[in-house]
Amino acid sequence: MTALLSIRDLRIAYRRDGIEVPALKGVSLDMEAGERLAIIGESGSGKSTLALAVAGLLARGSEIDGTINWKIPKSQAPHSFALPSVLPDISPTRGEISSSAAGSPPATPAVGETDRDSSISPQVGEMSGRTEGGAVERQPFHLHDRPLLLGRDIGFVFQDPSSSLDPVMPIGKQIAEVARTHLDLTWREAYAKAKTLLQRVRLPDPDSALHAYPHQLSGGQKQRVAIAAAIAAGPKILIADEATSALDTIVQAEIVALIRRLVSEDGMTLIFISHDIALAASLADRIAVLRRGELIELGETSQIVNAPQQAYTRALLDAHLGLDAEPQLDRQGTSA
Amino acid sequence: MSVLAVTNLTKRYHRGGKPFAAVDEVSFDVGPAETLALAGPSGSGKSTIARLVLRLIEPDAGRIDFEGANFLALSGAALRARRARLQMVFQDPLAAFNPRATVARVLDDPLRIHGIAPRSERPHRIAALLERVGLDTGLAARAIHEISGGQRQRVAIARAIATRPSLIVLDEAVSALDVSVRGQILELLLDLQRQERIAYLFISHDLGVIRAVADRVVILDAGRIAESGDARAVIADPQSAVGKALVAAMPKLIRNRP
Amino acid sequence: MKRLRRFLHTPEAIAGAFILALLLVMALTAPLFFPGDPQAIAGPALLPPFQDWSLPLGTDRLGRDVLAELFHGARTSLAVGLAAAAAALLIGAVVGTLAGFAGGLVDEALMRITDAFQTVPSFLLALAFVSIIGPSLGVVVAAIALSAWTGPARVARAEVLSIRERDCVAGARVIGMHPLEIAFREVLPNALPPVLALSSVIVAAAILTEAALSFLGLGDPNRVTWGGMIAEGRAVLRTAPLLSIVPGVALMLTVLGVYLAGEGVVESTAVRRSLS
Repeated sequence: MTALLSIRDLRIAYRRDGIEVPALKGVSLDMEAGERLAIIGESGSGKSTLALAVAGLLARGSEIDGTINWKIPKSQAPHSFALPSVLPDISPTRGEISSSAAGSPPATPAVGETDRDSSISPQVGEMSGRTEGGAVERQPFHLHDRPLLLGRDIGFVFQDPSSSLDPVMPIGKQIAEVARTHLDLTWREAYAKAKTLLQRVRLPDPDSALHAYPHQLSGGQKQRVAIAAAIAAGPKILIADEATSALDTIVQAEIVALIRRLVSEDGMTLIFISHDIALAASLADRIAVLRRGELIELGETSQIVNAPQQAYTRALLDAHLGLDAEPQLDRQGTSA
Repeated sequence: MSVLAVTNLTKRYHRGGKPFAAVDEVSFDVGPAETLALAGPSGSGKSTIARLVLRLIEPDAGRIDFEGANFLALSGAALRARRARLQMVFQDPLAAFNPRATVARVLDDPLRIHGIAPRSERPHRIAALLERVGLDTGLAARAIHEISGGQRQRVAIARAIATRPSLIVLDEAVSALDVSVRGQILELLLDLQRQERIAYLFISHDLGVIRAVADRVVILDAGRIAESGDARAVIADPQSAVGKALVAAMPKLIRNRP
Repeated sequence: MKRLRRFLHTPEAIAGAFILALLLVMALTAPLFFPGDPQAIAGPALLPPFQDWSLPLGTDRLGRDVLAELFHGARTSLAVGLAAAAAALLIGAVVGTLAGFAGGLVDEALMRITDAFQTVPSFLLALAFVSIIGPSLGVVVAAIALSAWTGPARVARAEVLSIRERDCVAGARVIGMHPLEIAFREVLPNALPPVLALSSVIVAAAILTEAALSFLGLGDPNRVTWGGMIAEGRAVLRTAPLLSIVPGVALMLTVLGVYLAGEGVVESTAVRRSLS
């Protein structure tokens, strides 16, 4: 079994007012192609940092150490990509990356030694604010062979579609732009593709929706558009970072169903970031539990839900207030 | 006698030049020490109702009786004085407080405004309030933006109970919290309700939370009441389309308990 | 300390801070180095600079010490500039907050008054004000403030309009806070940063307006001002151009220093905001 994604001892810290704040403290995990992995954790667990690091979207000034290796099955030969070189100012750590990668399993060749490695450039992160769903217009720094590209290989869905969609651009154009950039389409083809995508994400009346602006849509519809843009270039990996947290329960269920359908139709690999263990369990094959920057438990969904090894995971499960079990709240006031 | 009685409450807005009713002839009441939940999808009007009840916005029609008196007839100083009995906890306490304030100032304001304690006595009152909501009294000197989200929501609850209200409107008060913190906050709210006999108007889109804390539930859809009744009974067997949709949309966590 | 370091981050801010510090030292030490009346005759008239080391910059048409005048002029410029700007910001912030927070008729009335002030050229307004009431330091400050408060008022109102909708205002209303207290304790402090960003422009404009008024002979006659010095020097512009150039350069450097320091403050607060 070869891993699509292999993360080894990933450490990330942000600098704030000159103080280094660790966000991830040595996380290692592997993902297989076509797998649906949920990463759950509470605020400050580092789950979003992990998602951003995997997509190469980390903010300028983050300290990164460790490796993130990809093998894209689409291309013939297995390629390995070093992602931690997200920023020019941490590029000296490339040396560290190759040396640490040398210690990783043989399935992942040492990054610094292969001529096929390439990296996601920091521009990817800069662009994400404007173009939606991880659309990228600029090319990365190192174009050795075939760089892993956000938008083309990775689709990213953010929590808040209002801030990830361009408010002054018709949504059809925003989606078409992604398709045109990555698939070498003409505008006419890209618009046809955008319309198909809007149909796929079940947006009512896709013809007129092409010319609508984000403010004319509801929160759930905007998130559908964001998903359409994220999958416009047919990425192999879809990352959804709290993509349903800002939505109400009914819309959340619809968006989760949409993601599930699209992932299975296109055979995409899914990384689903959530704070909601029940939601994660409804979607994922495996669940990774993060706490304060550390991966404390990783296992099959049924194992995590039914036989959690860690007390923290058990506490998360117990804290869930569903409709199926008695809420474990102290209603009678036996304690003050 | 109910603490709060709302009759035919209506609020209209204009959207794209056309008037539409965000709240349309809604009536309900909340009894003493009772928790009434307002549930519904976004846009169903539940937050608008919260703001109408607190007179942060004015209704176009309808009547609000609070503690047996017409709440809409009050204005100026009389309304401000009455507000001591009717409090609110917001979803995001960071947005609901002056970001520059300290915990002590946030709690001092209601005590000062309503003349609950003289200046010299207020630090003791503030310490007592912090203890009541399970916070360290040393937190008083800290700035609001320095403390954690769970601590902040406890401070918000302390501020709400400072004036000994008979009703607190909780507008998605636990929606933004981590699940582990959420349980503690809900337990604190239930405990306060028992001890102080406070009624809650509990606004949430999360039926799981509502089922855990509410006595009765009103399910709203597009500004109108779709159904209402005993919280557990309605959630177990919803009759309205929106009620069914809300129940169906809840993520299920099926655990084989040992 | 950290704030100061961040402020001194850019070369512009350092230059601005240096010029302002120099000006401040001049203003504060003027009575120390040049005790007595700077308008008293100190030597022969029109003594060129660097001739007599007790009068380094020479004397003017009436035999007054130019360096002493320059130092005392810094006092006037700085005092008038800061006082007028502070008054303008205060009036503007209060008017803008009231208009934005109260809304309705109060807003309409206050903003129409603001319009009225804004449609009259500000220098003309100051000129008219001083000519009617008579030149004295207080009147000059009031005249400049009167012509400069409209900008801060508009900025404050726009900011208040957005802050008014925030939950913290709703929260303050819920606990029964008086609307005036909400406006001035909860809303105004949060609306101030963009208003204060205008302060460097206003201080600079106030210093220039004061100089212009003095140049036209409408400054306080009992005080030395740079504008007055330039006007004095005008009569002997051909024979002793430095008498006009020296205060002119001082004026220019001061305005430049205020601008640069103001930019530095805006930059450093912007960095802090983007960090948080």
